[in-house]
Amino acid sequence: MALDAKTVQVGSELPSLTKPAITRETLKVYGPAAGDPNPMHVDDEFAKNAGYPGVFAHGMLSMGYLGEFLHKAGGGVAHVRKFRARFAKLTWPGDVVTCKGIVTAVRDEDGAKVVDCDIWTETQNGERKIVGSATLAL
Amino acid sequence: MPSKDMIGRVLSTGSATVTADHVAGFAAALGDTNPEYQTIAPPTYPIAFMTQAMSGGMDTFSELGLNFMTLVHGEQEFEYVRPVKVGETLTLTGRIADIYEKTNSAGAILDFVVLETEGKDPAGKPVFYSRNVLISKRM
Repeated sequence: MALDAKTVQVGSELPSLTKPAITRETLKVYGPAAGDPNPMHVDDEFAKNAGYPGVFAHGMLSMGYLGEFLHKAGGGVAHVRKFRARFAKLTWPGDVVTCKGIVTAVRDEDGAKVVDCDIWTETQNGERKIVGSATLAL
Repeated sequence: MPSKDMIGRVLSTGSATVTADHVAGFAAALGDTNPEYQTIAPPTYPIAFMTQAMSGGMDTFSELGLNFMTLVHGEQEFEYVRPVKVGETLTLTGRIADIYEKTNSAGAILDFVVLETEGKDPAGKPVFYSRNVLISKRM
């Protein structure tokens, strides 16, 4: 269910989206599809040499999940006007990502109801991993 | 370390065609089954398209002198005039919008480079803007 232009107000929650647990296979598929050859996301030895406990998910994978969450909340891809994310914390294989958001401003623009939102991903422990904002035209 | 003299430099200009297969592969990798992807691309698709369209920018990118071993993608922003359409050819121009440094809590110097990319259609009309913040720790 998308946000309803008639009833949306500051404080309205966007319908959350929970994705299947991220696996190493998810990362192996995402890298080539996104043109990202960085071995940090597929090669444990490489990640360990760089000082990490092992491979971690591409930030843009989680941002892609937020993209799905936003087009669903807005009622289609054309309703997503602007969207930004800061990759604050790493997401790991085994993590279950849920996308959440809340409306922070509502205005009328050229006949459309335009809403600004705070958005974020969190994992199974409730830890926020990437945080950002978005503008949707409903 | 990146020189502030490089602010404003064009990193690369390039064109590529948005193919149905590339869009479908990208959407599948995200597990996003939106039927709209028959005709338009997912909201984060420009990140995949940029690497395809702008492969010529590596020399200028190397000139920045970032530490590749510690390079991370810190922030990403997309702004859309309209969705990217399957089958269209877009021309992308990437520019170094800003360079600055910060010191982290451990006393290490972090270099920030902001890359801005504009995607235009064959008529020269803007389709999307992307802003990409890269961070590398100086060794």
